[in-house]
Amino acid sequence: MRRTLQKIYLSAVLRLVHAAICELQSLDKAAEGELLGLPVGLRYAICTGHGAPALFVEWDGAGLRRLREEPAQKCCRVRIKTMADAFILFTGRMSLAHLYARHGLVVAGEIADVMRLARLVNLAECYLFPAFITRRILPELPRLQASPLRLYARVFFGFLTNRY
Amino acid sequence: MQPPYFEYHNPVKILCGENALDRLPSELRQLAASRPMLLTDAVLQKLGLSNTLLDIMDAEGCPPACTFTDIPVDSSLSVVNRIAALYREKNCDSLLALGGGSVIDTAKGVHLVLSGNTDDILSLSGMENIPRGRHIPFIVVPTTAGTGSECTGVAVIRNEEQAVKMEFLSPFVAPDAAVLDPRMTLRLPPRATAATGMDALCHAIEACSCLQKNPLSDAHATASMRLVAQHLLPAVENGADATHRLCMALAATLAGIAFSNSMVGAVHAIGHALGGVCHLPHADVMAVLLPHVMRFNLPRAEHHYAELLPFLVGWEKAADTPKDERARAAIRCVENLTARLHELCGLPVRLRDMLVREGDFPRVAQTAINDGALIVNPASVSAAQVEQILHQAY
Repeated sequence: MRRTLQKIYLSAVLRLVHAAICELQSLDKAAEGELLGLPVGLRYAICTGHGAPALFVEWDGAGLRRLREEPAQKCCRVRIKTMADAFILFTGRMSLAHLYARHGLVVAGEIADVMRLARLVNLAECYLFPAFITRRILPELPRLQASPLRLYARVFFGFLTNRY
Repeated sequence: MQPPYFEYHNPVKILCGENALDRLPSELRQLAASRPMLLTDAVLQKLGLSNTLLDIMDAEGCPPACTFTDIPVDSSLSVVNRIAALYREKNCDSLLALGGGSVIDTAKGVHLVLSGNTDDILSLSGMENIPRGRHIPFIVVPTTAGTGSECTGVAVIRNEEQAVKMEFLSPFVAPDAAVLDPRMTLRLPPRATAATGMDALCHAIEACSCLQKNPLSDAHATASMRLVAQHLLPAVENGADATHRLCMALAATLAGIAFSNSMVGAVHAIGHALGGVCHLPHADVMAVLLPHVMRFNLPRAEHHYAELLPFLVGWEKAADTPKDERARAAIRCVENLTARLHELCGLPVRLRDMLVREGDFPRVAQTAINDGALIVNPASVSAAQVEQILHQAY
């Protein structure tokens, strides 16, 4: 039961993080800069454990498009070793850096691409989680260039209009 | 404070001391190897170091099946792939690396390609993603005392196309054995002794202050720091002293074990970027950047740096230093050591001494923030902050 609930949560939060990063492209210059710096055609697969939810995306030069299936072609694959670790990460109790420090990640692909992804996820978390949570897990908080409420509203509208 | 979770791995047998090299043939036999491929570089061949090894191997009836000496200072992915092809062509059954960091990392790359049964090392890029492959007996003999590469689970190899240094992280990249013989470093010039010694110190300090630090890596790192503090200056001043040489070789190995289990930090991230973009020697860059990055990290790593002071200056001096001054005193100690090495042998203390162009800094900064070492740095570092550090070090 607990595992099923964690799966449901992770599935939802992965979609939320993806949508937030997409919306931040037009709300936050730092996010826009990171995204525009990605090589066109770069694919990410973020897996949260064996048989657990995963997110597959592709940067097409204009946006971070969600893919329905795991890319067969070469991509940057980040696998979180256990679903429990993924749950801790996506509930704002640990940063990606700390998960890395605990050997919680397996990466296939270029480390540089993972560093780009880590900065985007950190930024998205700063918008999605309240400051008292992110202050605990990140050494330094970036200056937010838009209101988190505005981001949530845009993400919500995006879900309503089936954009994500 | 103990981390909530950590991992420790050191599979390398260390043969350390006088005439350790003489035991290498016996070690090869134990690993069931009879046709080793020797990787070294032209300078070591010229200095006669490879002959010392070849004489021992000939005398014991196990000469290398093939020798490759064309390894450049900054080795590359294509060199690795070329050597792996030659290994197969010559039907070798083991690898032997004699050299500094570049030779050893190249050999580690070749080892990855061969054990992973592939033709292109790029297909193995990643972190902890490479499963244990075929066992290829692999022994390294370091000829510098700095990189610690003989005991690390990482190979740093230059990607010529992207002008970056790539890290291949895997616990299976480490060799079976490392031979630390003082004869191998006796002829290392003072300038190279100083630079590589500072590289070892940098590994130890970053290992003790990064997010992945743990009690076992701390034990190795602090032991390394004590050896560097006691033996680096004497080894530079009197390179013919085998005791100082051996202690420095051991310091480098200990620091290597430490950072292999806890990673490094911003000094290495920026250093790799400077190496990739501006082709600067790794060890020199480490020596220049270390105090500047320590100052940058100070607000986040003050307690870690304070704990290092006794290993750098001794317990009595550290005890005489007020508690809230110890971290700054540790940084001053590193600066004083670099300054003294500058006086003794001309070790660079500023980036401008190394003919770097300030115009390259934005590109270096962009490269540095994508280096894996940065993720465990105690303080977060943006591209603008990397540029700021570079300007301070200029």
